[in-house]
Amino acid sequence: MLINIQDFIEFLRKTAQQGDQISQVVVPVRSEYADDTHTFFRPLTESNTPLFNSYRTVDPAKFLLYLPREQVFPAEQTKNRILAGVKACDLKALELLDAALLYDQFTDPAYKQWRDSTLIITSDCDDISSSCHCNLVNGQPFAENGYDLNLSQIKNDFLITVGSDRGDKLLDRIKSEIKTRKASESQRMQVEKQRKRIIERLTGQNKPYSRSSHYEKLRTIDPAPWQDESMTCIGCGACTHICPTCYCLILNDESKADQFIKQRSFDSCQYNGYARVAGGATPRPSMTERFRNRYLCKFDYMVHNFEKIGCTGCGRCTQACAGEIDFRQVVHNLQNMAIAVQ
Amino acid sequence: MPVLLKTTSPQDIENPYRVIPAEIYDIVQESPLIRTLKLRPDEPIVFKTGQFIELSIPGVGEGPFTPSSSHFETERMDVTIMKTGFVTNTIHQAKTGDRVGLRGPFGSHYPLDTFEGKNILILGGGCGLAPLRSLFLTLVHEIDRYNSITFFAGAKSPKDCIYKQAVDEWKQYPKVTFVRAVDEVPAGQEWHEDVGVVTVLLNKLDIDPADNPAVVCGPPVMMKFGARDLLEYGFREDRLYLSMEKKMYCGFGQCRHCVMGKYYACKDGPVFTYEQIKNEEDIWE
Ligand SMILES: Cc1cc2nc3c(=O)[nH]c(=O)nc-3n(C[C@H](O)[C@H](O)[C@H](O)COP(=O)(O)OP(=O)(O)OC[C@H]3O[C@@H](n4cnc5c(N)ncnc54)[C@H](O)[C@@H]3O)c2cc1C
Ligand code: SF4
Ligand code: SF4
Ligand code: SF4
Ligand code: FES
Repeated sequence: MLINIQDFIEFLRKTAQQGDQISQVVVPVRSEYADDTHTFFRPLTESNTPLFNSYRTVDPAKFLLYLPREQVFPAEQTKNRILAGVKACDLKALELLDAALLYDQFTDPAYKQWRDSTLIITSDCDDISSSCHCNLVNGQPFAENGYDLNLSQIKNDFLITVGSDRGDKLLDRIKSEIKTRKASESQRMQVEKQRKRIIERLTGQNKPYSRSSHYEKLRTIDPAPWQDESMTCIGCGACTHICPTCYCLILNDESKADQFIKQRSFDSCQYNGYARVAGGATPRPSMTERFRNRYLCKFDYMVHNFEKIGCTGCGRCTQACAGEIDFRQVVHNLQNMAIAVQ
Repeated sequence: MPVLLKTTSPQDIENPYRVIPAEIYDIVQESPLIRTLKLRPDEPIVFKTGQFIELSIPGVGEGPFTPSSSHFETERMDVTIMKTGFVTNTIHQAKTGDRVGLRGPFGSHYPLDTFEGKNILILGGGCGLAPLRSLFLTLVHEIDRYNSITFFAGAKSPKDCIYKQAVDEWKQYPKVTFVRAVDEVPAGQEWHEDVGVVTVLLNKLDIDPADNPAVVCGPPVMMKFGARDLLEYGFREDRLYLSMEKKMYCGFGQCRHCVMGKYYACKDGPVFTYEQIKNEEDIWE
């Protein structure tokens, strides 16, 4: 299905304004600074312009579904939203969060509500950032499933693909309000070509870095190389907060008088107090150990927990790092080390 | 026609962060640093011995604690708590009639089915005796199912011994051997029982280690050396049960604070066999 981009944006604006079924539409928007090419998720308004394709936003989709600070008991009502312009790497991260937070026996009530009430529209990447490396972790720059609708740009149009029942219902509504056309075979080919072009750019950019199917060997490396890699790490925790798959939380008790209230907020395994137990003992007293923990969590522990690695290659941790540590480079260096020591 | 449909897990699962209020109806000061809160929850809490609950002081914080009462008691619950820091200091200021919050139960429990007909060894020290008291009271409730119970309890000094009133009674129970040791007897304190770290009591043990379960709980050093001594004595790795203490927030596998390699201490534990965790990361610290 083809639809004019301007018409689609107008449809989203109208939907958000009517507010009957959808009370908010969140889209990627360019920063106000002319020389900044990054995008951020913002509510769609009369005056801002979404930029759907490009590459991922600075803020991960996680921030909108698993809030930095949120009440979990009593659980609060969320609102119905459309979250558009989500990239493949962020969608994959949501799969991991689903596995972590919605598994059969226990369910995070707030995350579940946001997940249920948020319709997700993904979009193909037509650009990459210097830190993007989804191709190194079995990903690609477009979503294949798990979305409600997906957008691929062809000149002034979007090619819309349906990924779920509720996506289908939204498309019905789009069709009833604005003009749509059927995509031709050559237009579909055009999308394939664009996708291939981005994959080639990713492959080129990430040539110096290796990928692995033997991450479990990381555990066996002795401390010295970890010390080298973490030399400039100051333990700020930016890498974990910005990571779309990190979800470590602190539970705060905010109870009043006779009402029990529980809030959760983000925590980071990079902080010294993270695993400290009564009496002050902690299993990871040094920064090197905490740095190592982050890599083992992503490539070893999470694999055992969820049958997938905890990195989707978005590259945000590299961009956020005060110590200018390139995540890809560390994994590459240590992985070679692991192969050597095995 | 609403556009939005529910997509994620269809059944509405109860909120694991839900708090069950409970009233403190009595407090027993066990030792200078340890006290037992006797709680009456607003609704019965059904748990299996070895599992833990999260206990919160409204507006202050919460922490993981193991009920120290039998799991056959669901209307009331004892929790034995040592004063070690911020939250537990506040707990030690609580008064009879105060209300606290409980979440849970969470985690694994002692596999009592496999204890049937066995000679059970229980070894613990300090505040590690809390879950062991729960286990002990649960076992004696159905003592016919088991062959014997040997309970070795340790404490730093005579004044640090807990459950003082109950102990004399426990020693009288049929099929039960209860022995205590203190690390040292400071001047001015009186003691007529064993002296030494609790594992010295193993030389009084008269059961076949290869065929019987051993349960250990205590401070990390005690667990580490207790486990080593029991293995040396001949207990099997898969019948040696340890209760792991890690930093915990959620209690059900979602905050990741308690992760030990591939395991969560809260969800896969706190009760583990030695065999399960011996090769994991960060187990003793
Ligand atoms: C499964 C399990 C069972 C246990 N059973 C028992 C038991 O039966 N009896 C017993 O005495 N102990 C038990 N413990 C230990 C007990 O949980 C700790 O002693 C207790 O949580 C210490 O809390 P504290 O705040 O007093 O100590 P602190 O040393 O002050 O704090 C310990 C940790 O909690 C953090 N913390 C403290 N206050 C807050 C707050 N308000 N909000 C957020 N974080 C905070 C600190 O930063 C630190 O990392 C058990 C532990 C586990 C894991
Ligand atoms: S990591 Fe891949 S999917 Fe994510 S923004 Fe970059 S190119 Fe797109
Ligand atoms: S570890 Fe880094 S690159 Fe991987 S998903 Fe997290 S932020 Fe993105
Ligand atoms: S962002 Fe960089 S400096 Fe900060 S904790 Fe992470 S690795 Fe260390
Ligand atoms: S206590 Fe939260 S994951 Fe174990």
